Amino acid sequence: MYSRFYLSVLLISGLLVLAYLGFTAYDSFMPEWMSYQFEYRDYLTKNAKDDAAKKLARALPLEFTQVYLGEMNKVDRCTNCHMGVENPLMENTRLPYKKHSGNYLVNHPVDKFGCTVCHEGQGSATNTKEAHGKGHDTHWDTPILPLAYVQSSCAQCHDTNMLSKSGGDKVAKGEALFMEKGCKGCHKLKGVGGDLGKPLDKVGRQPIAYFTMKHIVGEHTVFNWLKQHFDDPRAIAPDSAMKVKLGEGEADLLTTYMLTLRPDEKPKSYRRINFNEPPVQNGETLYKSYCSACHGDGKKSLYDEVFKRTVPAIMNPSLLKVMDDTNLDKILKEGRTGTQMTAWKKTAAGLTDEQIKEIVTYMAANRPADRPEPFRLAEFKGDLSHGKEVYDLRCAVCHGTNGKGGEDMLGVSLRSKVVQKMIDPEVLAITVRDGRADTPMPAFGSDPFGMSKQDIADVVAYIKDFQSGGGK
Amino acid sequence: MKNETQDKEGGVSRRDFLALSAFATAILAGLGIMAGVFRFFKSDAKYEESRSFKIGKPENFPVGTATKLADKKIFVFSDDNGIFAISCVCTHLGCLVYETETGFQCPCHGSKFNMAGKVVGGPAPRGLPWFEITQDIDGSLVVDTAREVPAGTKNRYS
Repeated sequence: MYSRFYLSVLLISGLLVLAYLGFTAYDSFMPEWMSYQFEYRDYLTKNAKDDAAKKLARALPLEFTQVYLGEMNKVDRCTNCHMGVENPLMENTRLPYKKHSGNYLVNHPVDKFGCTVCHEGQGSATNTKEAHGKGHDTHWDTPILPLAYVQSSCAQCHDTNMLSKSGGDKVAKGEALFMEKGCKGCHKLKGVGGDLGKPLDKVGRQPIAYFTMKHIVGEHTVFNWLKQHFDDPRAIAPDSAMKVKLGEGEADLLTTYMLTLRPDEKPKSYRRINFNEPPVQNGETLYKSYCSACHGDGKKSLYDEVFKRTVPAIMNPSLLKVMDDTNLDKILKEGRTGTQMTAWKKTAAGLTDEQIKEIVTYMAANRPADRPEPFRLAEFKGDLSHGKEVYDLRCAVCHGTNGKGGEDMLGVSLRSKVVQKMIDPEVLAITVRDGRADTPMPAFGSDPFGMSKQDIADVVAYIKDFQSGGGK
Repeated sequence: MKNETQDKEGGVSRRDFLALSAFATAILAGLGIMAGVFRFFKSDAKYEESRSFKIGKPENFPVGTATKLADKKIFVFSDDNGIFAISCVCTHLGCLVYETETGFQCPCHGSKFNMAGKVVGGPAPRGLPWFEITQDIDGSLVVDTAREVPAGTKNRYS
């Protein structure tokens, strides 16, 4: 006969296998959704209005159902638990068999649209946890969207004009905020925008693994990352230079808008996008979109805590007085190397010449009518060594001994390409003489400094000499 | 080991009982596993369009109307006796038939059907099938193209 030991092992393992089989059999005959279907049928039977309805409710088959969406390559099995989404009798019941809120399903019947096209989650799953895709262990990149952000899905098929009128106000408000807060001053979207921040294309569908989730409170999801990053950028990404001055609820609106930025396109038969009304882009909206994040309203120079430098007042009347449109246009197009100001020309940040012209026109609207008294720099011959003496005495405090300005300095860089190559020395001389109102730059040509015209000419010559290696 | 052979109360020795139950469980477990494996051949759900679908509330089909649901390939009629659904796929080679004054006509090979879908001419081997209509719990009508009903089955719904 066989040894007692081996027989015992066989018996025990056999019993274990049988127990496991029993468990799986129970699980497949009595899945999670079945109990909801029982409850749903019970509710309908109990609340039936007449005998016919009662009979209909009793005959309700408890079976596995799904919505097959061939065109979108989706299978949604949500209706196994959410059985009453289209049933008006289920208005005041509890989840999961409660009727869908609002009248969204009138134009989006479940058998044509399914559920995950708007709500995300894993449509083909058959238990709550997997279907909602919550938690790290479901390994699902698009968990079910919280109701605060669910409107982001509308933008897959509808344009903002339509959404702002019917049921998609959060997307429309989010987009307006996105423009108004000047996000594109630092972030590129569809190839247009600054380069200090990351491009935002497809950000709404990026895998969770692309985001640093270390400091996220709660569920590690893309929408939580976006929301908490809007609340406090540096708490989530410590080296972020992002500026946010958001009001109550605006972080949620912007998060909703971010989630609309998805790469995948829905089939044509689903889309209702009307491209006939492109958004207005005049000088003011362009200025807000691309400039206002750093320059604010442009009237006063601001010391930026994040950049640790002074951001110039670009719509200050005394600046506009000396800078003509050509100079402004050049600065906008070429940017200021060595500062956060990027080059906005078509081949860099992507603004067209016409858009730049619109912005310049908008800025120039504040230009005072009177022209500054000409300096006639050409009549003076600059003396470099005297220029250095004057520079070290007067200018170095704010612009730095090497003229670079920058960190912890009030003054802007004098070594940038713009100052060195693009701006007329005459403009520099006038600026030194008259200063710039509403900024820390004083008028050196008058009391208490009293620099002579020759002094100014010398210092301008010295500054202009930086490009040939002077002033080190 | 003497006492084991002596223990014969149930007619089976203790060692024999152990061997017997061990083999029995092993066989049962094996059968269970086989059953589980064969269970996989039958799927609960297929990746394909469902053959039963909602067509809307009965009031969308007032008496005396004929509606062609082109994407579902059916006609839905409503007359004094009730609502009924007829396939619009020709039984010959699957072209979509169109409605005429006397019934249906296939554009491909000229098959003709009368109002009840019965063949009256052409190569079609059999009449156009009538499909079962049921009413869903939320009141909308459901057509199941997998279930045929005899021609002439009409029901009223409210």
